[in-house]
Parts: sequence; structure tokens; C-alpha cells
Amino acid sequence: MTTTMSNPAPAIEVENLCIRYGGVTAVENVSFIAAGGEQLTLLGPSGCGKTSTLRAVAGLETPTSGAIRIGGQTVYDNRAGVNVRTEQRGMSMVFQSYAIWPHMTVFENVAYGLRVRKHGGAALADKVRHALDLVKMGQYAGRNASALSGGQQQRVALARAVAFSPSVILFDEPLSNLDAKLRSEMRIELRELQRRLGVTSLYVTHDLEEALAMSDRVVVMRAGAVEQSGTPAEIYDLPRTAFVADFVGSANLVSGDVVASDADRGTVAIRTKDGLVVHGVTHGRRVEQAGTISIRTVHLSLAAERPAGEVNVWPVQIMRSVFLGDVMQVHVLWGAQELVIRRIGAPLNIGGEAAFLHAPPERCALLEASG
Amino acid sequence: MATVVAMVAVLVLYPMYYLFQAALDVGLPDTRPPTAYGVANFAKLLDYPTVLWNTLVVTCAATLLALLFGFISAWILTRTNVPFRRTLDQLMTVPYYVTPLLGALAWSLLGAPESGFINQVWRKFFGTEALIDITSPMGIAWVMALFEGSVAYVMISAVMQSMDPALEEASAVMGGSRWRTMWRITLPLVAPGVLGAAIFVFAEMLGSFSVALVLGTPARFYVITTAIYHFVSQYPPRIALAAAMGASLFAVMFAMLWLYRWLTSRNSFVTVSGKAFRPRVMDMGPLRWVLFAVVALYVLASAALPVATLLFAALQKLAVAFPAASNFTLDHFRQAFSINAVRTAMLNSIMLAMVTATIGVIMTGLLSWIILRSRLPGRGVLEYLAMFPQAVPRIVFAFGMMWAWLVFPLPVYGTFWVLLIAYLTVFMPLGVRTISGVVLQLDKSLDECGQVCGASWWYRMRTITAPLLRPGLLAAWLLIFVASVRELGASILLMGPDSKVMTPAIVEAWFSSSSELTAAMALIQTVVITATMVVFGLFTRRLAQRAVSAP
Repeated sequence: MTTTMSNPAPAIEVENLCIRYGGVTAVENVSFIAAGGEQLTLLGPSGCGKTSTLRAVAGLETPTSGAIRIGGQTVYDNRAGVNVRTEQRGMSMVFQSYAIWPHMTVFENVAYGLRVRKHGGAALADKVRHALDLVKMGQYAGRNASALSGGQQQRVALARAVAFSPSVILFDEPLSNLDAKLRSEMRIELRELQRRLGVTSLYVTHDLEEALAMSDRVVVMRAGAVEQSGTPAEIYDLPRTAFVADFVGSANLVSGDVVASDADRGTVAIRTKDGLVVHGVTHGRRVEQAGTISIRTVHLSLAAERPAGEVNVWPVQIMRSVFLGDVMQVHVLWGAQELVIRRIGAPLNIGGEAAFLHAPPERCALLEASG
Repeated sequence: MATVVAMVAVLVLYPMYYLFQAALDVGLPDTRPPTAYGVANFAKLLDYPTVLWNTLVVTCAATLLALLFGFISAWILTRTNVPFRRTLDQLMTVPYYVTPLLGALAWSLLGAPESGFINQVWRKFFGTEALIDITSPMGIAWVMALFEGSVAYVMISAVMQSMDPALEEASAVMGGSRWRTMWRITLPLVAPGVLGAAIFVFAEMLGSFSVALVLGTPARFYVITTAIYHFVSQYPPRIALAAAMGASLFAVMFAMLWLYRWLTSRNSFVTVSGKAFRPRVMDMGPLRWVLFAVVALYVLASAALPVATLLFAALQKLAVAFPAASNFTLDHFRQAFSINAVRTAMLNSIMLAMVTATIGVIMTGLLSWIILRSRLPGRGVLEYLAMFPQAVPRIVFAFGMMWAWLVFPLPVYGTFWVLLIAYLTVFMPLGVRTISGVVLQLDKSLDECGQVCGASWWYRMRTITAPLLRPGLLAAWLLIFVASVRELGASILLMGPDSKVMTPAIVEAWFSSSSELTAAMALIQTVVITATMVVFGLFTRRLAQRAVSAP
């Protein structure tokens, strides 16, 4: 099944990477390590420096300072004066625009990397066919590349990227030009493929679902710097900052003075201006005099009767509910603040406007003070 | 990089330096370098108020007419359901290929007060007066406008096509009538674009040379460009005066083109974007056949009629409107091919144009790549330099070159070398613009992907960049070739007795031998150019098909 076990895929190490264009800093002190065979995703809004970072790893962008190592080999280090040219870094990449060469056939596009490596004859044809079969484009080999639809081009770009059996593949928002349905299909296929090939991949996207669904680990970037890195679950459940809480899914942020904290059990409680007390978890974060807690919209629940004996139960006023298809979004007045709750399917079984809101304390994550 | 910038700078600025040196030279005559500098030469321009006035009148009239032609045809072809729209759209660019020189020759045969065919016909049926006088200022403006109208059409129709039809539809939905929509919405929105076209056309008209030379000179009617030629070629030449005129003309044209660039880059009307929309088409009912006739008439007057007239004249012993059967002859064509001078000029032109096009494509291809794809410092300066010759009328540029190369240590003046250098310089903007258009359309990642795949620079150049650029390079080659064969303004001043080329030879023949022979020569040149374009077209199509059918 996994042929690459004997020859493990190399790790990608990025250390204190800085990229400046003139006076503008695009990437500032970014460091991360993608372990061999791992899929690491750089996630962030446009202009956060994720694409610049990826292009620096590819060698398409020359950083200002820092170091990049692939499989222990230094490919860029400003202090050592090393900058290996892109074509000698031996990786592969899928471009946002696909970059399918319009003057070649599908076959020739996929064969390119093999021809560069002096493959030829039946072995080459075999590998190309194998790569095209992987993306279910086998019957299009003779087709002119300019006559393909967007989805087909995307598949050909993928086949081209894997045809010469690279051990590192870079993805620059490869799904952003596809429609929503095709995108969610390709997401799964890409993930499968990456697992099957056992390659190390660095994936750039601004799409949250894509990042959570496809990655072993996620690095959230903001304004050129790393905001938080961890597994998808960590990022989602325990956002480090307000930015991550907001960017990675939808969250309610509540702030107040810290009224209790237990360093051993890792719990904390804050009281808002309206006098409401919220219990949460610190996850090892430093507790100050005041704090902000993030509660995911899906972790809040509503009930007509007061749930007995629980903490984090508050009376609220229901303001409006919005039907969104898969979920129902309810806006409630919590003290003087508006909170948003998302719940699956069933309509709200509450007669009037008054209801009780509940949030499990282990789902209420304390954020770091700054950020 | 510094070498490239320096090379282009020498090509472009060295002649300009000598132009200004000559214009500011108030020292002893015939002494170089000048012994004293001053602006007295510019003051002398005021002694020639007629030249300035003629230029102003002809340029303004021609600009207005050309815009009218361009605007009306653009409106008809983009906004109405005129029949045969696509064919007409293609035909609208033909006048540009017919060239003003050919048009001037033909219209001179048609509209000269005494011998013009139209006047002969008019006299035969309606009396003794001449109907039209093509050698009058308005006649000259008419011919100039006929050929520049095609340029105005291309510019204005591009503006009209880039307007979102929803803006007009919004007016219609709110109850605005067709004409109200046209006056209150369409016109104000296209106005900046039309203004840009007006400035561009005006600048081109200021620098135009051939029409005024053919139609105006015999009657001693001079505009600035023909006056410069006159001052340089008369004996004794009045170099300082010609230089001052050239420098002033350059200054005005430079200012106009600067204004044009400023206007078009400001994007004050965001609604008129670079995107092409499918404009809303008005149903004109039976009136559409009238509109069809209007556009057809323009194409007829600017393309079909001139070529037919030249053919008609070239086939007669002595060209008249009502020839006897015995008057027809092929002698002029025979003569054109048998006169050594004409044959040499023809071959010279073709050879020179091929060399110019080949070197020019390599040079401008490299320049475009550096300007658009490199990160080298100074590429902005390079772009500016490369596009600079556009702002210099060719006759003025040729004057600067003549003056520059006369004192150059290498003996290139009067040889093909100076013509080659001149062509390479004046057609630099044409090449850079054409190739840049293609380079801009190429997604950068096409090359980067090859890089990531491990291909070296040469391998990528061979397998990716060059094949993708090929259509653009071929187009640029053809454009430069055609432009070189037809070049007049620079060649007429720079060619020597041993380096004759075709277009100036045609003008010489017009003034010194028969108009029938000239017509034959002009037709031969047109056939050569057309044949090249057709062969080239077939060749490139074959290439394209081969690319498609490749395994």
C-alpha cells in the first residue's frame, strides 16, 4: 500500500522567514515545520502572507531573511548565503491558475516533469497514464489542453504535479477557482491522494472548511505573522486569539473581569459589565485581571425551562431566528450583548421571547490577552 | 541591464540631442559643434505664419473629420443591428493598410482641379467648373481624415464595447427613451474615451507627412512637416530653421501624447472598464440599410476607390476618365520592373524590411520581457525610452539622425546602416506594444510551473515561453516588415544615392516622372505587402493547425 515507507518523505522547515517588498513587509518571522508525509495548511485571509511564504518555499520568491530546509537540506539561508534555484529544489506545485500550458496536449503537460528528468519511452507513457488515471482523466490524454473545462484543468494540473513522483508538493489555493460542489468533492479526493502518495504537502488556502478537512496541521496567518498553529481540532476548539476565533468558524466573544481561577484544574470565571458570570477553561493560558472568552455558536444551546443546577446558564431574550437551510441561526440578547447561536434543523420549541441559554464550561475557551 | 538601457537610450536620445543642438545653434553657419547657443531660431518661426496657420487648419479639420468618421462608424457597428456587421468591422481596418500615401496619390488622380477623374466626369455632364479641389487645405484634410478615420474607429469602438450595457438598460427600465438614453447616458460615458481618441488623432495628424507632401507641395502649400523637408532639401539647406520647427513640433506632439496617457490612465469613469461586454444593439428597422450604406461608403472612399483608381490609371497610356480602348497598356508595369533604379529600390526595401523585422522582433521581444517580467531596476525608464519614438514625427526624428550621423566617426550616413538604425528606432514602440500585448496575456505561473518541475531557463524558453509567444512574435515581425516597406518620413531624408528604398522612390517618381508609372509602382508595392501578409497568414495558420493536431 504505502511504497514510500522505506524512503520517508522529507520535512519542510521554515525558520524566521521575512519577506519585504520595498518598504512593505509581507511576511514577518514566520516559522513552522511540516513533518515528513504530513499535510500542513497555511490558512488566512488574503494579504496575510501565506502565498508569499509558499512561493518562498518554492523558490519563486526571494525572501529578505530567514532559512528554509527541505529534508534537512538548506535551500535558502540568508546568513549562509544559500539560495537554491527553484528548478533544483526538486518539488512540485499546483498553481491557483492551474498553469496548464495551452500549446500542449494533456499528455505532454503531464509528461513535462518526466521529460525534464530525462525519462522517455514506455516508462514515461506508463507513468503519465498512471498519473492521469489517478485523477480519472485517462481518456483525455490526447486532448488539447486549451479545450478543457476548469475542473478538468484542475485535475490535469494535479496529475502533472504528481507524475514525476515528487516527495514534496505545494498547493497554492488549487480549489479556489472551482464551484462549491466540485470543490467539496475535490477536497476529499486531494486528501485521499496525498495520503496514498505519502508526500509532504504544504497547502495554502483562505477557505476554513478546506483547511480543517484536509490538513494534519494548520498554521493560521494574519498580517504576515503566524497567529496560531495546531491540529484542526485544536485550532477550532481552542482558538488562541480573537482573530482565530473569528476567522476559524463563527464565535461569540465575551469579555469581563476575572473573578475566579484555578491554575491546577485550568478553569477560569469572568464577570461581564452586565454582571453575568461565564466559566471557562484556560488551556494553560496566562490569566490576567480581565479576560475574553470565546464560545462557538454551535456550542450554545437554548431551552424553555431552566436546566437544573448547572453553571453557565443565563436567562436571555430571543430577538430573531434566521433559517439558513442546514442550520438555524438564533440571535439572543444576553445582558446588553447580542449572541449568535447556531443549531441543527429542528425549529425552536419556545413559545415566547424568554428562554435560557447554556454553554458547557469546557467549550468556553479563554483567549490570550493580546492579539 | 545598464547596457540595454544605454543602448536604447543612444538609439532614441542621440538623434534628439542633435535635433536640439541644431535648433539652438545661433553661431557661425556651417560650423559644428555650434559656437553659440540661443533661441533666435525659434523666433524666426514667426516669419512663417502661413505654415503654422496651414498646419493648424489642416490638422483641426482633419481631426474633426476623422473623429466624425470614426464615431459614426463605431456607433453604427457597435450599437445598431446594421447588416453584415462583422464583415464591415473587418473592412474598417483596411484603410489603415492602404496607407495615406496611396490614398493621396489616388485622390490626386481623382480630385485634381484640372485632370482629376471626378472633375472630368463633372465637366462632361454639368459644366465647366471643377467640382472638387483635392489640393486645397480641405482636400488635404479630407484625404488625411479618410485614413486616420480607421484609427479613430478602432479606438472609439473599443470604448463603446467596454461599457456595461446594464447602465443603458437601467435608463430604459426607468422609462428613458432611446434618444434620451443615448444623450444622457451613452454619450457622457464614452466622452472621455472619445476625447482621448481626439487627442491621439490630433497628435498623429500633426506629425503626418505624406498626404501634404503629395497634394500640397506642387501648389506651394506647406505644413510644418513638409516645410521641414523643404528647408532641409532645398539649396542651400536651412538646417537651423528646420531644426527649430522640428523641435517645436516635437514639443507639441509630446505634450499631446502625454495628455493622452494621463487621460487614459486616470480611469475617472470606472464604468468603462477594460472588460469587453456585449453592447445593447438597437433595432433600426429599414433605416439599418442606410447605416450600412454610410459605412460601406466610407470603406469605398478610403480603400476600394483609391486602389481601383490607381489600377485604372496604371493601365492607361495617359490616364483620363474616359479612355479609348486603344489607351490601355501594361507598359507602366513593364517599365516599373525594367527600370534598374526602381527594381533595386524594391529589392532594397524588401531586404531591409526583412532585416529590420528580424532584428526588431528579437530586440523588442527582449525589451518587452525585461519591461514586463524582470525585476531589474530601471525597467520603468526602459519602457519610457522604448515608447519615446512614438512622440516624435518621423521626419523630425530622421532630421535628428541625419544631423547626428553626419558627425559620427563611423561612415554610416547615406548607407543602409543608417536606414536600418532609423527603422529599428522608430518601430521600437510598435514592436514593444505588439509583443507586450502577448506577454501580458501570458499567466506568469505558466513559466513558474516549468521552473518548479525542474526545467532550466533554456529548457523553459524552448518548451514553454517561445512557443507561447510565437503568435505575438510573428505578428510583430509582420507589422514591422509592412511598416518598414512603407516607411516614408524617415527614409526620404536618410536614404543616399546608393541606398534607395521603395516608398521615397514612389514619391520621387510622382514628382519627376509620370503619374501612371507612379500608380503602377504603388500598386506593385501594395501587392508585395499583401502577398507577404497572405503567405504569412497561411504559414501561421499551418503552424497553429500543426500544434492542434500534434499527438
